[in-house]
Amino acid sequence: MDINAVLSLGAEGEEDSYAGKLYLMAPYLAFSSLDKKSVRFTIPLSTVRRVERLNARAGIYALSLALWHGGKIIVQLTSLRPTADLFCALLRDALKIELQKGRMKSVKGFVKTCYSEVLVSAAAPTPSDEKDEAEGADDASESSYHGGLGLRFRFPGDPKKLREASKIKLWTTYLKSHGRNLTLLRYPQCTRLVQVGLPNRLRGEMWETLSGSLFLRYSNPGLYEQLLEQNTGRTTTSTEDIEKDLHRSLPEYAGYQSEEGINALRRVLQAYSFKNPELGYCQAMNILAAAILIYMSEEQAFWLLEVLCDRLLPGYYAPSMHGTLLDQRVFESLVQRCLPIIHDHFTTVDVQLSVASLPWFLSLYINSMPMIFAFRIVDCFFCMGPKVLFQVGLAILKINGEKLLQIQDDGGFLNLMRDYFASLGDSAHPNSSDPRARAITRFQELLLVSFREFSVITDDLILSERKRFRHEIIHSIETFSKRSAVRNLRSLGRFTKEQAGLVYDALYQAMCEGVEEKPETRIQLRTFQYFLSEIATWARDEKIVSNGFQQRIDRDVAEHEFIDRLFFFWDTSCCGALSFQDLVHGLDGVMFNDLMENIEWFFNLHDKNKDGFLTKDEVLTVSESFLFIFRFEVGDAYLGAVSRFMTNAFEYGDALLADSDQSQENQDQETQNQETQAGVDGEPLPIPSNQPYLNLATFRMVVLADEILESFFETDLSGSFRLDPVAELELQPSASGLLGEFWSTIATDNNKKMFNMFTDEIGKTIGKHQVIHRPSIGRYKNLEEPKARESLLTPGMRHSASKTSLRSSPSSSSLRPSSTASSTTATSQLLTVKVPSPPTGKDREPASAIGYSPMVQAANAALLARPAFTIDDAKDDDDDDTEDDLEIGDNDDQVMDEVDAFLEAHDSGLTDADKAVAKDLINAKPV
Amino acid sequence: MAEAASGSTDKSVQVKLVLLGEAAVGKSSVVLRFVSDEFQANKEPTIGAAFLTQKCRLEDRVLRYEIWDTAGQERFHSLAPMYYRNAQAAVVVYDITKASSLEKAKSWVKELQRQANPNIVIALAGNKLDLVQSSSSSSGTPLSESSEDEADDATATPGETPSSSSGEPESLRQVPREEAQAYATEAGLLFFETSAKTGEGVVEIFTEIAKKIPIEHILAATRGSVGRPGAAGRAGGAQEGAVNLEENANKPKDACNC
Repeated sequence: MDINAVLSLGAEGEEDSYAGKLYLMAPYLAFSSLDKKSVRFTIPLSTVRRVERLNARAGIYALSLALWHGGKIIVQLTSLRPTADLFCALLRDALKIELQKGRMKSVKGFVKTCYSEVLVSAAAPTPSDEKDEAEGADDASESSYHGGLGLRFRFPGDPKKLREASKIKLWTTYLKSHGRNLTLLRYPQCTRLVQVGLPNRLRGEMWETLSGSLFLRYSNPGLYEQLLEQNTGRTTTSTEDIEKDLHRSLPEYAGYQSEEGINALRRVLQAYSFKNPELGYCQAMNILAAAILIYMSEEQAFWLLEVLCDRLLPGYYAPSMHGTLLDQRVFESLVQRCLPIIHDHFTTVDVQLSVASLPWFLSLYINSMPMIFAFRIVDCFFCMGPKVLFQVGLAILKINGEKLLQIQDDGGFLNLMRDYFASLGDSAHPNSSDPRARAITRFQELLLVSFREFSVITDDLILSERKRFRHEIIHSIETFSKRSAVRNLRSLGRFTKEQAGLVYDALYQAMCEGVEEKPETRIQLRTFQYFLSEIATWARDEKIVSNGFQQRIDRDVAEHEFIDRLFFFWDTSCCGALSFQDLVHGLDGVMFNDLMENIEWFFNLHDKNKDGFLTKDEVLTVSESFLFIFRFEVGDAYLGAVSRFMTNAFEYGDALLADSDQSQENQDQETQNQETQAGVDGEPLPIPSNQPYLNLATFRMVVLADEILESFFETDLSGSFRLDPVAELELQPSASGLLGEFWSTIATDNNKKMFNMFTDEIGKTIGKHQVIHRPSIGRYKNLEEPKARESLLTPGMRHSASKTSLRSSPSSSSLRPSSTASSTTATSQLLTVKVPSPPTGKDREPASAIGYSPMVQAANAALLARPAFTIDDAKDDDDDDTEDDLEIGDNDDQVMDEVDAFLEAHDSGLTDADKAVAKDLINAKPV
Repeated sequence: MAEAASGSTDKSVQVKLVLLGEAAVGKSSVVLRFVSDEFQANKEPTIGAAFLTQKCRLEDRVLRYEIWDTAGQERFHSLAPMYYRNAQAAVVVYDITKASSLEKAKSWVKELQRQANPNIVIALAGNKLDLVQSSSSSSGTPLSESSEDEADDATATPGETPSSSSGEPESLRQVPREEAQAYATEAGLLFFETSAKTGEGVVEIFTEIAKKIPIEHILAATRGSVGRPGAAGRAGGAQEGAVNLEENANKPKDACNC
């Protein structure tokens, strides 16, 4: 929950107050000033040592929070009293939970890993007016802080030139007065200090703190080691890729010429790939990891990498690299907007910006600039967010504007950039008479331009630009991968390219719904079921549901042994997964067949050991397959056909068996041993169930003996595979105008299901709920007498599928079934006729308002009732109050105005002072 | 025509060349051998693509190759069009000790023929020849000598192979020369087997490409396109069309109409 608050800090000497918002997001407490700049903090609740309600003037509700580091934060809650009370109650509860979890105790151990503690305690022999401070300092002096390879292999750059000592001094002061690591308060001065470059020893920790990865490390102690331990010795494609790049990651740095450095790098990258197997490992992550490992321990680096890949650079390193492509597109559009002349020139000479800028973004400039400069940019990046990458990129182009207008091709562009980066350490104004101007390096100039001239590039702008291009990028990635997938097929079979594209679309659709990640890889059985349900009519369960309010088609993926069989039948390489090629090949084998080929295909599909014979069990499976495919057909025609098939098959089979009984016995023994029959068990058959029984010729004969089966194999089987995308599920939301409109206004993907469930329930209670399965083939529209059902139901056969068919047929017995194509409309009309409840005329104009007003009422009630439930969980009374308060809060401006006025006066003063500080730093002479 | 060209553009002819192929087949090593005649760890990690240039002298003229050495990891695939657009030449590299790398190479070739500049000259290079050559080189391939790229080899092929290679090195080969040659002929590619390590066959790729590149057209396009010298000849689609026709007439095999 958040609340308006005025923050005053009990820092020595200066008394500041800032208006802003206080957020309680257990287990964190965060504050941000209204301008989002003046002050911000996020602190774990476990670092709060004491909370006191201050007894100040009447009408002021203030809390004093004492923190681990001795800092005292005073927040004045400016919202209305009940809200403030609630906030306090929630805060109290959250703190209690933290205490129970023992988190308070873990703070002490954790902060010891932070260098800042050492820094502060060493610098000041603790003027210990605060107990906690003294305690913390004493323990931290054991100096078990985390550090990077730099401690052993030296940090890049000359510490003197980098003015390490003075930076450390400034930071020590800052950290002492404004908290550190877990409880750092961020003022503009913090950002300024970051902009002049973090001191090497503190850099790793500050990266952690500024990016927030510190909190991940804090709240997941030991996870890094666990991950490595659990996955010891495991090899994946990611680990293989990592091995290839270990020696190519900042190879000039001494640390990576030693086993120690390489091993650390390996562990961090591997641990990340285990943590996030979907992303795994992407080239460029090695460079990031190598870079941050110079400044931080493995565990720190691991968590920072996590924040980098998941939050700061979302999608950059994903298998599709969509984030990278998206941000390149955004960058291009920003160049077009901010530097139109350069953009136009690039268009004229056909130079693509990304050839240079892609690695900038992908490796945070580490791969492009000399390391000491790149790390300064990384400092800013962690402090100020991803917009820094764009700002710096634009500044680079702007500074080189003149020269860029001379380039003619990609190569020239790259060379220019390479030269520029190599000269970053040179003076920006070598010919200036002013020695101070001469001292400004090109890098300083770059940062100045980045943050001064491109301050218009805000996080919000980047977010909105990303949103603007997201669709375009996704679309282009999709078409690209589709095109290459189709192109890379070894054989198209009898498909055209377009058809293969449709197969790909179905596959893609299945992958989105299924579990698989990448369209190029193979799919497992589960995804195959999704895939097939996109293609084959019988592989999905389509139910036309009507409940008096609406009609819709619910579509589910069917599961049946037949589909599994198909999966393994198409898995020619026997690897338990199907590739796009396998699918094309498999579909090719069935979609273009004539009668005879189809019969043979079906035979082979069920002949598991490929000996040219079906066993008795397999004959039963064939009939089960039939029943599965025909499960939603209307009437008993198909049932009869299957039953006749069975009778005939066994008749012929038994007759043939008598002849070849003896001669085959030996062979049988073998097959018996080899096979593991997945068929029906516990069947009281006189002959071994896995004995070769029916050959193709006989099978064909048996099939052709039946008219229905013949027509099934002649056209319906092939026709049941349809490549065209399956039409949207919606039927017209019933014809009732009012409810229809109502429905369409509230329909979103999220609430659709709820709504459906709900209306179903109502439908059931008012007796209007009806579910009809849509037939897969839908050839026969007339009911036929059940023929030869007795033989179908011979004891000992389990036909679960047949039961379903039997069950569904009576329910729809009075319906005139229609062909699949027209079934939607046809059935909907028929349904209205059939509806047992009073003729409300819901298909017509609202002739009788009385007719469906109860329904509307019910639906309204439903909708009103639903939100109430959700709120119930979250203490609706309180929430309502907050909302009211917020509105009122806007009104009690008088109070705020005062504060604002105060702040404004105060604020400008601050910035000036800070400006001076920053200026001093830039011009500061080496100490 | 040639002299007119050399008159107008003082410098050498620029040819954009892109290297493609599966990860760890030795693309970067091949380039490094060609550009600086050395074999070593790739000091510069490849993000997206590395960019190098090298001149190549051919009879009376000098070609300046702008080489784009692309990243091999599969997920960088979608970035590849950025690098092969406008390329006049491509070297598709596979590893002769890894059959799957040829499959990947074939798909690259298909993609180039479909998506890239229609006149692009494509060379197929089967790298790591040193691993399958008996006595002459492989007996002298102790593991200690193997530097970075050889580490790649070790990951690409079964680990024990380098040590056992002296016995029957040919067994390491998974792609018969004839098979690759046949495919290259069929697809209209130049074909080489190379070893970036020994240097065998590397320079040949680039000189053969140089011979096959329609230099006159590059020059003509360069001169024709703009008054300003040096403006690359990618400006006009019409010119490309003209080039196309003539090119087809001269060397029908180059035209990638498959």
